[in-house]
Amino acid sequence: MRVAIAEDSVLLREGLARLLEEADFDVVARCETADELLSNVRSFAPDVAIVDIRLPPTHNDEGLQAALEIRSQHPSIGVLVLSQYVEVGLALKLLAESAEGVGYLLKDRISDVKEFVAAVRRVADGGSALDPIIVSTLIARQRPGDPISLLTPREREVLELMAAGSSNQGIADSLVITLRAVEKYVSSIFGKLGLPSTGGESRRVLAVLLYLRS
Amino acid sequence: MPVWGTSSCRASPQVRIGEASQLPKHESTICLVDCDFQYEFAHDRDRISLNHRSISTKRPRIAGVFHVPTVGIQVAEEYRWGGRPEKGVSTAVTAAAPSVAEPRDAHRAPHSLVVGSIVLAGCAAAVAGFALSLEGEYGRAPHVHASLVAWITLSYVLCGLIAWQRRPESGFGPLMVAAGFAPALSRLSEANSEPLQTIGEGLLLLPPVLFLHVFLAYPSGRLDRRPDRFVVAAGYTIVFGFDLVRLSLAGAGQDAAATMALSAQRASIAVLALVALGALVSRRRSSGRPFRPSRELLVACFALALVGLGVGIVMTAVDAPGTYVIRWLAFGLVGTAPVLLLIGHLRAGLARSAVGDFFVDLRSDPEPSELRDALARALRDPSLALVYWLPEFGTYADLNGQAVALPGPGEGRAVTQIDRDGTHVAALLHDPSAEDEPKLLDAVTAAAGIALENGRLHADLRARLEELRGSRARIVDAAQKERQRLERNLHDGAQQRLVALSLELSLIEQKLEGNPGARAQLDQARREIAASLDELREIARGIYPAVVTGHGLAVALEQLSARASVPVRLAVEVGGRLPEPIEVAGYYVVSESLTNVGKYSQASSATIEVSQTNGVLLVEVTDDGVGGADTERGTGLRGLADRVEALGGRLRVWSPKGGGTRVRAEIPCE
Repeated sequence: MRVAIAEDSVLLREGLARLLEEADFDVVARCETADELLSNVRSFAPDVAIVDIRLPPTHNDEGLQAALEIRSQHPSIGVLVLSQYVEVGLALKLLAESAEGVGYLLKDRISDVKEFVAAVRRVADGGSALDPIIVSTLIARQRPGDPISLLTPREREVLELMAAGSSNQGIADSLVITLRAVEKYVSSIFGKLGLPSTGGESRRVLAVLLYLRS
Repeated sequence: MPVWGTSSCRASPQVRIGEASQLPKHESTICLVDCDFQYEFAHDRDRISLNHRSISTKRPRIAGVFHVPTVGIQVAEEYRWGGRPEKGVSTAVTAAAPSVAEPRDAHRAPHSLVVGSIVLAGCAAAVAGFALSLEGEYGRAPHVHASLVAWITLSYVLCGLIAWQRRPESGFGPLMVAAGFAPALSRLSEANSEPLQTIGEGLLLLPPVLFLHVFLAYPSGRLDRRPDRFVVAAGYTIVFGFDLVRLSLAGAGQDAAATMALSAQRASIAVLALVALGALVSRRRSSGRPFRPSRELLVACFALALVGLGVGIVMTAVDAPGTYVIRWLAFGLVGTAPVLLLIGHLRAGLARSAVGDFFVDLRSDPEPSELRDALARALRDPSLALVYWLPEFGTYADLNGQAVALPGPGEGRAVTQIDRDGTHVAALLHDPSAEDEPKLLDAVTAAAGIALENGRLHADLRARLEELRGSRARIVDAAQKERQRLERNLHDGAQQRLVALSLELSLIEQKLEGNPGARAQLDQARREIAASLDELREIARGIYPAVVTGHGLAVALEQLSARASVPVRLAVEVGGRLPEPIEVAGYYVVSESLTNVGKYSQASSATIEVSQTNGVLLVEVTDDGVGGADTERGTGLRGLADRVEALGGRLRVWSPKGGGTRVRAEIPCE
């Protein structure tokens, strides 16, 4: 699996590359700037690009712009955005059209190597990975007559994993329950929240996200 | 403005201005300013009164008594009362009205009888000049020459009379009248009677010298410059000196010599005409500025007339062909000049009445903003700009305290600086043509005195306010920049390193497959790092909302409303990004308001509305809580107000008890 990395801190860039290589990724590009990343993405057509949201020269939104451009120019390439802070607004912006092949994680998540590698693979395969902080912030969000409170604790756990982009199998593995049980929970959650059930696992991420945001 | 008695002096011809003893001692120098220069001043032991003499105009006349230091008029000359300088009360006459500084009764307009006689005499002279000129040998078309003589006579006499009446204090009118009679007198040389002929011969060359005198004495009637005086004195000397020589030679029967003397006399006067032309041009040069168009025309007319006179005299002397054409031209120009002179005089009269109006304007104590308009009217220059000198800022500024650079040379604008009590107060930026009437400028600027001072204080205040606002904005900006720098240092430094360290530990952990004890320790260390990163993240967010700078207000507000303690409805209608300080201020308004909602309001919901209309960013946070927010409580709202006001905006808080709280910030964003 081919991956391109854009991260201006050498320490992190090399650490990431080493981590991914050890996990059998083929790191095709190690970039310092957004422009470099874009040209490498064009040249090497990686399966996934990992982008730091703050990149030179201004360290404002170059990384995000590069991520959005890859999303629109090369929809088949997954984009995983890393940041020192995660913002609901940015998640909404990144997932504005679809949650397919997109991820948005805190940089801290790198150190949980197994989880991180799984997230990279998921995004590369067209799935999604949304940071748990975003999901928990949105779920914890105050809303009038909150239907979330109708969910059982287990359903809440499933909702969080679902919103973060986990597949049913992933949820089953995380919670150590059967796939069938997961499917039951999912349809129960959709029922309680009044959401129409959607087919794909990525599409339901967006549906849940928009539901939580409103 | 301490003006005594002005309100009544329009109503009554005899106005008691005020008790001299009522005036404070240190203000004992009183200045009588007569805006139309047509008042008499009377003074008895302890009263000042003003005798209103209504002369040629029906306009209401305004006069005032001003304390000199207050009005700031420079004392130009001492006003001598009955030949004796009066210390104290009536010693001052001002630069604003220098023509008042003449002895009393010296300049009355000519009596109507005198005027009538002069008109009659002028007509008679014109007719006589016409008739006598027909007698002379003036080549072809003698009636043209005769008509020109009559035209010159009439134009000088009549225009001179009008000037005399309008400006009795000036000697210019009488001078013109005298010049008008000269041509007719010189024509007596064609008379049949011997004595008249002798007189005519004697005065033959007087007219050109008189015209020369008139031209050089314009507009005051006086010869102010030494070269002018020299030229005129030389002219009269030549006329009368050579006359004596000629008459004595003719008496001795030496006609040839007498004719030669006449030629020499003519040549001398021709040279003198050219010298006078030089004097006229040099005066024009030394003034260093263009005259008004009418004045330009006049000077050109003078110059051409002088050249024509010179050339005509020389050609007559050598009996050149075509002399008569040159002479017609010269005579025509000479006769046109008085009309132009009269126009100039009437304009000056207009200017004086403008000063009168200006006094009326000043009397109503104009707002500083109205002063410029009043000055523009008085100087008849709509483009006039008034700027004030702010010594502490070392610059000129407009009424709003905005610094103004004076126009440099070649920008087509003139600058008149206005001083009071030896200190610089203001400057007028005006059309250069206003400098053509220096007395008008002086009078207007002097009269504007106290009003200018008010305007200057106003401008000074505005400049200070502006500076204060600027410094507040700079302080807020500097603090913000510093916080931004700190946040970035944290982000690029400690946070990155901790993430890298945590990653390193993970990689080591993976290699310790067979050592669960060490793995558990490493895992613990990673948890510690994760906790540190969480803390650092919160600290960094508290220091500076980097997301606002990076991604804009709309994105940043999502997180704020998601994390709020009550359900929040968020409506953002802002197209695109705004300047960073404005977005950051808007962010803080929302963040602080939401904090207050959580802490004090007991609200069940809140609304955030952000919109941009007419160049103003509107940020409004409303809750349905208990209200009664104390705007002075803590530093939160006060700090917010500082931040918003530093950007030229304003923050308002409505918080009636039991009625919820509404915080509304309006920040200009264009």
